[in-house]
Amino acid sequence: MVENRPFLAFLTHLVLILGVAVVVFPVYLAFIASTHGSGDFLRGLVPLLPGPHMIENYARMLNSGLSTAGAPPVWLMLANSLFMALTIAIGKIAISIISAYAIVYFKFPFRLLAFWLIFITLMLPVEVRIIPTFKVVADLGMLNSYAGLTIPLIASATATFLFRQFFLTVPDELMEAARVDGAGPLKFFRDILLPLSQTNIAALFVILFIYGWVQYLWPLLVTTDSRYYTIVMGIKRLAAAAESDPYWNLVMAAVILAMLPPVLVIIFMQRLFVKGLVETEK
Amino acid sequence: MATIELSGIRKVYPGNVTAIHDLDLSVDDGELVVLVGPSGCGKSTLLRMVAGLETTTAGTVSIGGAVVNRLEPSDRDIAMVFQNYALYPHMTVRGNLEYGLKNRGTPRTLIDERVAEAARILEIAPFLERKPRQLSGGQRQRVAMGRAIVRQPKAFLFDEPLSNLDAKLRGQMRVEIRRLQRTLRTTSLYVTHDQLEAMTLADRLVVMNAGRIEQLGKPTELYERPASLFVAGFIGSPPMNFFDLEYLREKAGASLPTLSDDSDIIGIRPDSIVLADPQEPSIPLRGTVELIEPVGGESHLHLRLEGSDQLIIVETPGRPDAAEGTLLTAHLRARALHPFNRQSGLRTA
Ligand SMILES: Nc1ncnc2c1ncn2[C@@H]1O[C@H](COP(=O)(O)OP(=O)(O)OP(=O)(O)O)[C@@H](O)[C@H]1O
Ligand SMILES: [Mg+2]
Repeated sequence: MVENRPFLAFLTHLVLILGVAVVVFPVYLAFIASTHGSGDFLRGLVPLLPGPHMIENYARMLNSGLSTAGAPPVWLMLANSLFMALTIAIGKIAISIISAYAIVYFKFPFRLLAFWLIFITLMLPVEVRIIPTFKVVADLGMLNSYAGLTIPLIASATATFLFRQFFLTVPDELMEAARVDGAGPLKFFRDILLPLSQTNIAALFVILFIYGWVQYLWPLLVTTDSRYYTIVMGIKRLAAAAESDPYWNLVMAAVILAMLPPVLVIIFMQRLFVKGLVETEK
Repeated sequence: MATIELSGIRKVYPGNVTAIHDLDLSVDDGELVVLVGPSGCGKSTLLRMVAGLETTTAGTVSIGGAVVNRLEPSDRDIAMVFQNYALYPHMTVRGNLEYGLKNRGTPRTLIDERVAEAARILEIAPFLERKPRQLSGGQRQRVAMGRAIVRQPKAFLFDEPLSNLDAKLRGQMRVEIRRLQRTLRTTSLYVTHDQLEAMTLADRLVVMNAGRIEQLGKPTELYERPASLFVAGFIGSPPMNFFDLEYLREKAGASLPTLSDDSDIIGIRPDSIVLADPQEPSIPLRGTVELIEPVGGESHLHLRLEGSDQLIIVETPGRPDAAEGTLLTAHLRARALHPFNRQSGLRTA
């Protein structure tokens, strides 16, 4: 595959560059838009170079938000989203690694049934069970609360299944050696299984963090109090401000801010993440 | 230091698979007992019951005089060496060696002392800070041994510890295990497939078949006086040759020694068949050389016998002058015959 054919090299690079451009251009536009004044879009032409209002726009969005659109300051929505994404990611990982541990390493009655019940929840993402789930959450008085935002999303099986598959690849002898070495079930879990799962946990964390971050429908349903708005649903509200034309510059500032945390998570976890997807440590 | 006593132990796996049938075995203090037998005969099961990794369906397991049936593996004070080593991949060699000691709350200074001692004995000191995946197979094997000896347990249990190594390394490690076990004098149970390992390591050898003990004794005893057809065929490489008594009687004439009446099948080891007339009572058999396998200092001749279509193996020193396809006479030393009864499978004299 490593051939020295200039034309082929040129072609592949062209395709790749075009691909990147298609993905990056809208982001670039969003960024440019977020640096202009509010009047700059009325002409219907989108400017291509940064304007002078960047600091002003971002500061305004972060601190006070767009009160006309009924949205809280962006920092609050970011904080809500962060809390929600972190809780979902950590909660899901914690619950599923423990249940996978139980299913793989312990013999208890109806073990297989337990596994299949957990497995079936894979077929029931929030969107499918949204009405009954909403009813339950409402009856429990969890509307407009962090509990209501996160708990229903934590309970699902994706990660359990992945951890189970991983645990099944861990040789039994490792557990037996640990038993001979005097490690009880908890010690084995903590000293051996958790460290071995490290890269899987990292990969899952990234995926689940983003999953939690981009939740839209569920926060929209369970929050009516603007204190609990998350950033992704908040943007929609900003853009759909009733009386006036949207302040595109401000909306775009919020969009750029909303993109940052997932990007940061990926950048910081990249090494572990890629390792987790690509190799299983033997 | 301790004895291991198994009395009347039985293992029935779920699905009614009986892996071990009411078996008794005792291993003396400081002794190394080797278990051999064909695949699936229950060697690992037996070892794992001693370790406590498998429950016993019936009978008792005692280590050092105390019944340990209900004890967890860690409370039995044994150490096990696994075929695939089962080193903890995320810990350094030092971490692997220390883990069992730490879990027992051994004081730090003692841990360091024991690890240093084990590292010295096994010559793994240079790798102490490496991860297992940065070691060669032989080095991993040493670490696995180290993990067993740092604990100074009452007994070592080995489940085919050398079968993942190449032949040369296996030879080296075999000698080392022998030396180590002699120095430490720790009671050991050792499972293997390898004849050579079994013969050279064992103080006493146990041949198992289908969940039962076929014969138990010194390796040389088993080789020289196999108690059953099974043991005769299993111990020794190349394997023993077997003949119908009728066939031999026809060929032998007067040189056939007197045998008890119930003998009907006769075995003889390949090294007790010679090509030159041995000048002692012997049975001459003529056959065609089908194949000559030179194995260093000796050769294995595969001989197709005249009259019966049986193939026998003759072990002869050096290189025979006979070429493949030639007809020659082989002499069975009369005093090296092993008589058996086909029905019972037992030795008759
Ligand atoms: N967990 C199990 N459940 C059911 N049957 C089992 C189980 N483990 C082993 N067996 C059966 O018990 C018998 C003995 O198995 P064991 O592993 O002790 O054999 P082995 O002598 O160690 O063989 P090998 O030399 O191939 O390692 C086999 O017939 C095997 O099929
Ligand atoms: Mg085995």
